[in-house]
Amino acid sequence: MAEEIQKKMQKELELLGGIQKEYRKGVALKQQLDSQLNENKAVKEELVLLKKDAEVYKLIGPVLVKQDLEEATQNVAKRMEYICKEIKRADDHISALENKQEAHQENLNKLKNDLNKLKIKA
Amino acid sequence: MATVSSAPAPGMHQIDLSKLSIQQLLQLKTQLDQEINVFQDSLQTLKIAQGKFMESGECVEKMTPEAKGKTILVPLTGSMYVPGTISDTDNVLIDIGTGYYAQKDAAGAKDYFKRKVAFVTEQIEKIKMLGMEKSKVHKAICMMLEMKVQAQRQSAKPSTS
Repeated sequence: MAEEIQKKMQKELELLGGIQKEYRKGVALKQQLDSQLNENKAVKEELVLLKKDAEVYKLIGPVLVKQDLEEATQNVAKRMEYICKEIKRADDHISALENKQEAHQENLNKLKNDLNKLKIKA
Repeated sequence: MATVSSAPAPGMHQIDLSKLSIQQLLQLKTQLDQEINVFQDSLQTLKIAQGKFMESGECVEKMTPEAKGKTILVPLTGSMYVPGTISDTDNVLIDIGTGYYAQKDAAGAKDYFKRKVAFVTEQIEKIKMLGMEKSKVHKAICMMLEMKVQAQRQSAKPSTS
């Protein structure tokens, strides 16, 4: 009986470890998205401040390509929208993993209790 | 570019330190250690960014109309330069982030760097404040931890003697 519980615990621990790993990955992704959003925000503010006839270039690989101010503004807005959606997705992912983590922790605690009870009996 | 939100994280609430166990205090301490480290790292990064913006601002100041036609050495790689002449001292291209470059006149460029330096300085101040608060909590936890450990030692002594 005790062995069985220990085996179950091992399995739970493994699962928990996997989830924690994924959780950390999710958080790192979210941080990256956050900083991208902030950078885009800064660019947008800068583009708004520019004069109407100012020249804007986009760096594509090693070359600077001239771009319309209007087009650039639209591009940045689109990108921000996309990043916001991604952030929402990452948030959902993280909270789902949090829930899973909690469930496994609970299972683990239960198993620990069972094991302790058995030990006391024995 | 990192922006710092000063809003408290959700789930943050006041905890009476004296009610925590030694283990919980230790856990809290390591967590705070990590947070303080993160703050110090970002502070360093921000200071580097501040220095770069200041340097660029100084470069723009040197681009006066008198500099027109003067020769300069243009770096092709980190270790190879070719001679060139300055043909336009009125306009400069500025990297505004995410691969976009905008053309600005000297005054606009100066203003841009001034704003950027102000922004970064503001962020530095914010992080400094947050860091100070964290180290205050850190100190309090360390003190409480010491008290608890001593109390435990004292309560353990009579039972052994």
